[in-house]
Amino acid sequence: MNDTRRSRMVLAALLVVALAMITIDYRGGDDSPLRGLRGVGEAVFGPVERASASVVRPVGNAVDAITNAPAERRRADRLQRENQRLRDQLRGTQVDQGKSAQLDRLLGAAGLGGYKIVAANVISVGQGLEDTVTIDAGSGSGIRTDMTVMSADGLVGRVTRVGPATATVLLATDVNSTVGARLEDSKEIGIVQGRGRRGLGGGGRTPLRFQLLDANAPMRVGQRLVTLGSQGERPYVPGVPVGMVERIDAPAGGLTRTAYVQPFVHFTSLDVVAVVVAPPKSDPRDAVLPPSPTPSAPPSPASPSPSASPHKGKGKKEPSATSPSPSH
Amino acid sequence: MLNAPEASPNGRRVISAIVIVVALVLQVSVANRLPLPGGVTPDLVLLSVVALALVSGSLTGCVAGFCAGLAADIVPPSDHTIGRYALVYCIIGYVCGVAAAEMDRQSMVPFFAVAAGALLGTVAYAAIGMLLGDPRASWTIVARVVPLQVLYDVVASPFVVWCVLRATRRYDRPERRDRFSVPAARYRAMSGRTRL
Repeated sequence: MNDTRRSRMVLAALLVVALAMITIDYRGGDDSPLRGLRGVGEAVFGPVERASASVVRPVGNAVDAITNAPAERRRADRLQRENQRLRDQLRGTQVDQGKSAQLDRLLGAAGLGGYKIVAANVISVGQGLEDTVTIDAGSGSGIRTDMTVMSADGLVGRVTRVGPATATVLLATDVNSTVGARLEDSKEIGIVQGRGRRGLGGGGRTPLRFQLLDANAPMRVGQRLVTLGSQGERPYVPGVPVGMVERIDAPAGGLTRTAYVQPFVHFTSLDVVAVVVAPPKSDPRDAVLPPSPTPSAPPSPASPSPSASPHKGKGKKEPSATSPSPSH
Repeated sequence: MLNAPEASPNGRRVISAIVIVVALVLQVSVANRLPLPGGVTPDLVLLSVVALALVSGSLTGCVAGFCAGLAADIVPPSDHTIGRYALVYCIIGYVCGVAAAEMDRQSMVPFFAVAAGALLGTVAYAAIGMLLGDPRASWTIVARVVPLQVLYDVVASPFVVWCVLRATRRYDRPERRDRFSVPAARYRAMSGRTRL
């Protein structure tokens, strides 16, 4: 009995403390005194996460490499029967090759846009409903808050908090994320919003929602989006590919039209990402977009034949890529 | 309480802290990266809080829950109001501890406790989010998350509960490695279920 009373007292005290913390943190917003606790968390858990990621990543990558490609799996099974050590070596080299290829593409994309980047690995992923990741580069690598994070494929998100050796990235798919975006080869601008953690908000393949500001502007399925660029290039630098319009909602009396966007980045398997530490000198426009037509042309009613769209895309892309200067 | 009272409380606290930290690190760096269908991942921290509460009672349960929740609130990629998980896990730890004391003879208790804890935890976390006006806790998202989350938690629970039992038992009874060395009926019941 005494013990239940004591534990009730403790429970009550802890609940009061928790409620007080929620209140203080909620009322304080970004300036709340409890944000210092996050700094402590970053200093304490950051190194632990880095260490655990360095242990976990080779295993995870090997598992990824196997599950992603059935052929790889068969090959790995065969080797497993042959020799344990040989298999481990093979996986190791595959992982390294994959990583260096990713880095190469990343550098290619960064060079194309003229971004100055710091490459980093994703070491942990947020819990609960938020769509955030931790990367293993922090203020020591020159990373500050509100910097754009991209991968070789396109926009990943922005840096929200920076620790000494780690940084937290808010992914573009988070509900709280809002990105200014522009349709390729037109000046039509709009807002890309996330639809929740891994597309939980009914997202599926289209975890992003794009709202075109001008309701009468042309927009078609298959059109691609790049970031518009924020004022002062923070948090978002211009010209980073975002995704492709997959479906357009008929305007239901609204002032804006909504399109559902399939991102270029696979948000569920983020690994090597890059933080843009210096924006490009001039807006790269559509130069960073991948070579135009991708297999998802079939649902588009606007592009009649798959062979027609590549020429169109390329024809329009070249002039803007060669003359990026008038933007600023 | 229900465990060996002669085990030093400090050792138990250390073990509980280690269990929580390991669960938390595994959660953010492994479990949350699993590409599971539906985009939901099992909540290892919640499961270890439930397991600790089942083993050690309501007092340890609510303290461990609070500490685990606070750690989950400040671990790097977190981006919600500080205190949300602390509140939720504290309640879960207490309730599971009380429930374990009430009905420890039935072998299904751990599973019901885990399922109920997962349900209560997810719903409470989402409810607090709704109260605070967090756009992430919108109804469509929560309605999708809760059933999957409970399912994954129940699926993952035998492993986590087993690991926590191993960790705590190993400390409590260093001289007896017999697998039926108590925590008495509770341990037998749990290990019996986990072997199924």
